[in-house]
Amino acid sequence: MSLGTAAVRKSPLWTPAIMLGKYLAASCLGIFLGLVITFIEIEHGKGFTAIEAGPWTGWPRSEASEIDPYTRAILAYSGKISLSESEAMSFVAQGSSDGAAFDPDCDYTIKGEVPPARYWTLSLLSPAGALIGNMTDRRGFTSSEVLRASDGRFEITLSRHARPGNWLPLGSASKFILVLRLYDNELGATEGTLDAAHMPAIAKGRCR
Amino acid sequence: MNRIDHLLAALLWLAGILVVAGITHIAAIFALPKLAAKDVFARVSELAKPGQAPILPLALTGKSFISFPDPAMVQSICPFNLSEGGLRLHADVEPDRFLSLSFRTSAGDVFYSMSDLAAQQGRIDVVVLTPAQLEVVEADDDEDNPSQDLRLIAPEAKGFVIISALAAYQGERTAAEERVKSVACTVEQIAPE
Repeated sequence: MSLGTAAVRKSPLWTPAIMLGKYLAASCLGIFLGLVITFIEIEHGKGFTAIEAGPWTGWPRSEASEIDPYTRAILAYSGKISLSESEAMSFVAQGSSDGAAFDPDCDYTIKGEVPPARYWTLSLLSPAGALIGNMTDRRGFTSSEVLRASDGRFEITLSRHARPGNWLPLGSASKFILVLRLYDNELGATEGTLDAAHMPAIAKGRCR
Repeated sequence: MNRIDHLLAALLWLAGILVVAGITHIAAIFALPKLAAKDVFARVSELAKPGQAPILPLALTGKSFISFPDPAMVQSICPFNLSEGGLRLHADVEPDRFLSLSFRTSAGDVFYSMSDLAAQQGRIDVVVLTPAQLEVVEADDDEDNPSQDLRLIAPEAKGFVIISALAAYQGERTAAEERVKSVACTVEQIAPE
């Protein structure tokens, strides 16, 4: 037994084979680790170009060449690439202003300021970016059609059940996100100074 | 080998693993957008041929062509292949009706975008060209009667334009569809000298 091991150790052919095996194992481990880090980064990261304001995360309108590689990879992976690069500045909310994720069994109220833009639209989508079916044809509001109080303020209610005023039905959604788009906005110069006070707040209401 | 040698060897292996992990991570980050973009133009080609601009359906089920669509927007897609000629886009703009054009490479990256605010005398005229086609067009220019066209150089021969019109009210959807349909998207033959 001990003789056999000694023979293996001494054989000049075996030593490089073992080393090669070790190198291969280390490389595989490294590649695996690298892919895991990449996956975690693009699943949970937001990239360096993202702007956060309260519950909203936005990607400034920019051309592909100006986006950092991380943001680009994240946007390409999530399919949000069309959000970042169109004529609009887009903001995505995945939860209410208190930081809790959206629950379709709860009501939510959206009110407050919207940064100046020629038009804005607020739409309800699934987290993967698909439209959500509901009984009515309402999937969002535009700045033109939203009902406003005499001082110009508005309040939008998200609920599974019919609500008076600006009701955005949650329909059959099991999970949802909100997308706020500002068309022909004036954020270009001031995008660094955007804060939660100038974005609509999302308050959680009753749950059932 | 004593304990310190073992420790050093282990550290060296660990460093090696981390270097490989780092290289893989960077390579994956750079490769991802290219991999994701690969089938974009193939999907565009299934929807339309150069010189056509069909309206994109707002798909409720399955994956629509544009992910994260804005339900208030009516959009059409007009592919181009500059090896067959330049692309001419003409739109008559109605005042205060949002209309936008976004010019994209075959991978879907925007290289130019404009809205109806950029219209001159209620018209938008854009020609998408290769650098060689631009030279031919410029050689034909009449100095006394300058062209009103906006000439865009495409970074690559293939790409597409997304035309969007906003239905500011739900009832305006048909009108927005008409606005999108009225944008003419044609292949323009450019004769070399």
